[in-house]
Amino acid sequence: METSTTEQGRAYRGQAHTRVNVGPAERKASLAGGAALALSGLWSVGRRNYLSGLAMIASGGMLLYRGQTGHCGLYEAIGVDTVHTQESGLRIEKVVTIGLPPHQVYEFWRRLENLPRFMKHLASVQVTGERTSHWKAVGPGGLSTEWDAEMMEDTPGQQISWHSVGSADIPNKGTVEFKEAPGNRGTEVRVIIDYYPPGGTAGRAAARIAHGLNAQQLEEDLKRLKQILEVGEETTARRTVE
Amino acid sequence: MRAVCWHGKQDVRVDTVPDPEIVQKGDVIVKVALTCICGSDLHLYNGYVPTMKKGDILGHEFVGEIVAAGPAVTRFRVGDRVIVPFPISCGACWYCKHELWSLCDNSNPNSWMMEHIYGDTGGGIFGYSHLYGGYAGGQAEYVRVPFADVGLEKIPDGIPYEQVVLLTDIMPTGYQAAVYCNINPGDTVAVWGCGPVGLLAMKSAKLLGAERVIGIDRFPDRLQMAHSQCQAEVLNYEEVDVAEQLQNMTGGRGPDSCIDAVGLEARGTGIEDVYDLVKQTLHLETDRASALRQLVKACRKGGTLSITGVYSGFIDKFPMGAIFAKGLTLRGGQAHVHKYLPHLVKLVAEQQIDPSSIITHRMSLEDAPEGYRTFVKKQDSCIKIALKPEHAAQKSEPASA
Ligand SMILES: [Zn+2]
Ligand SMILES: [Zn+2]
Repeated sequence: METSTTEQGRAYRGQAHTRVNVGPAERKASLAGGAALALSGLWSVGRRNYLSGLAMIASGGMLLYRGQTGHCGLYEAIGVDTVHTQESGLRIEKVVTIGLPPHQVYEFWRRLENLPRFMKHLASVQVTGERTSHWKAVGPGGLSTEWDAEMMEDTPGQQISWHSVGSADIPNKGTVEFKEAPGNRGTEVRVIIDYYPPGGTAGRAAARIAHGLNAQQLEEDLKRLKQILEVGEETTARRTVE
Repeated sequence: MRAVCWHGKQDVRVDTVPDPEIVQKGDVIVKVALTCICGSDLHLYNGYVPTMKKGDILGHEFVGEIVAAGPAVTRFRVGDRVIVPFPISCGACWYCKHELWSLCDNSNPNSWMMEHIYGDTGGGIFGYSHLYGGYAGGQAEYVRVPFADVGLEKIPDGIPYEQVVLLTDIMPTGYQAAVYCNINPGDTVAVWGCGPVGLLAMKSAKLLGAERVIGIDRFPDRLQMAHSQCQAEVLNYEEVDVAEQLQNMTGGRGPDSCIDAVGLEARGTGIEDVYDLVKQTLHLETDRASALRQLVKACRKGGTLSITGVYSGFIDKFPMGAIFAKGLTLRGGQAHVHKYLPHLVKLVAEQQIDPSSIITHRMSLEDAPEGYRTFVKKQDSCIKIALKPEHAAQKSEPASA
């Protein structure tokens, strides 16, 4: 499986130095991400990973504070202001080869309700119109975010792309390409997801956590998609029915 | 049920654990009739394979009877006696379709681990760490076997379990090692390691037309077995300079093919052995390479190195210059058991080969801890241990879906 992750962009230097320098969307993300970090920190400490656990609790606590007060000391110190500036995105890109023709893989993906079957961070995708859908994602600790998405491009057997619309906590867009692989190997499925988290490195971290999606998970998601399409179900080493 | 569980380095115990069930449509439950301890289980026992967890059920060599089958199973029925290959293969991916069964794309649910370490994943393996999928093993009364239609092979009537239990792994592994040698008339094949796989590789090399086989080890009883069972000429590497002796025996050419049936816990001699042992103990090098270095040095120009001993990580001081200068071919990897099973079952049925001749110890499953101790210390001329579970009478069979 070929993989790549790129992070694009960084926060611009803010001009205005008001008390509130963390934008409302990021405040929400900070709250969610902070809670998640603190939770997983506690979990780590419970598992005796004291150092990393304590570090997570500390940074989680900082995010929580930031979300609640709308003020970030760190941001102020480094001159970042996400209320007044625009931020570019975080990109996750993965590709997998699946032993079925492009139109079959496309058909499966095009029924958007199928996505949560292999994308573990998604709780549900509901089709709400010809080009619109409602997405629900779950992060660690049961934190969830929801948004509406609109399909921008739909070329049967080749490509689907979508973007979030309205007041998404973390605006995002995605593209999936289906390309015939050489030598009868099936389809190369390439997924590119861009997030526009509100503000800087901390915002990006919060976005990852709030959405529960990172490059590693997308890679595992695509492996699951491959298993479902090639084998008929997700493979498991479980011994007993749960 | 009772099962042999890993608890830590050199600590295995027979525990009572829940019976397995049919989890997916293509599963069967096999009631284990006979199971073996493998040389590669000793790598787990000695703590050289990462990602083992307390309570993991060991064992990847087992045969038995199907006692429950999932709704999608079509080739088998309850009551069939079956051979279970140690690699788990989905039968649907590109690798399975090209008979590279042990490289299956889909059967390892923890594929990300190997992808991160090795660059890509192999298939799952029964009872062989979470790196290889975290499947429960066959040193138990019952096992859940996924993809039954893909992997299993029926045991013909009249053939006892003991004659086919080694077809689950070491017989096909030895056979593949010999196949990889591309044997031509007049060829000499040298085999490092006269353990179970080495012995069966020698038998296979003869079967595939090798004129001579040479067995290399340091244990006299193993060398004796290679000589008596495989008509091999033998070398004790503690007594002679192996590369020099092999040259002498082959008119100065060197063996046409060299099989490594030793793997990462190889022992050598002299300073080089101490170097590897120290580095491995300090975790600066994961695998000891003394045998592998000898193979490279001894092999004739343009010859083949067939690597079937288990290597898991990194090796220092690997003589790449010699591989280049002598134009050697390197082949290796887990055996694609499914590919060889029908042919090997036929050879057993026709009595052309009897792998059971290398089983030296027969024990109850309950004695597994003692078996592991005996095997790891190479005590009592131990080559291969077969364990027989004592199924309790009137025991309820595992539930089917
Ligand atoms: Zn084995
Ligand atoms: Zn496969």
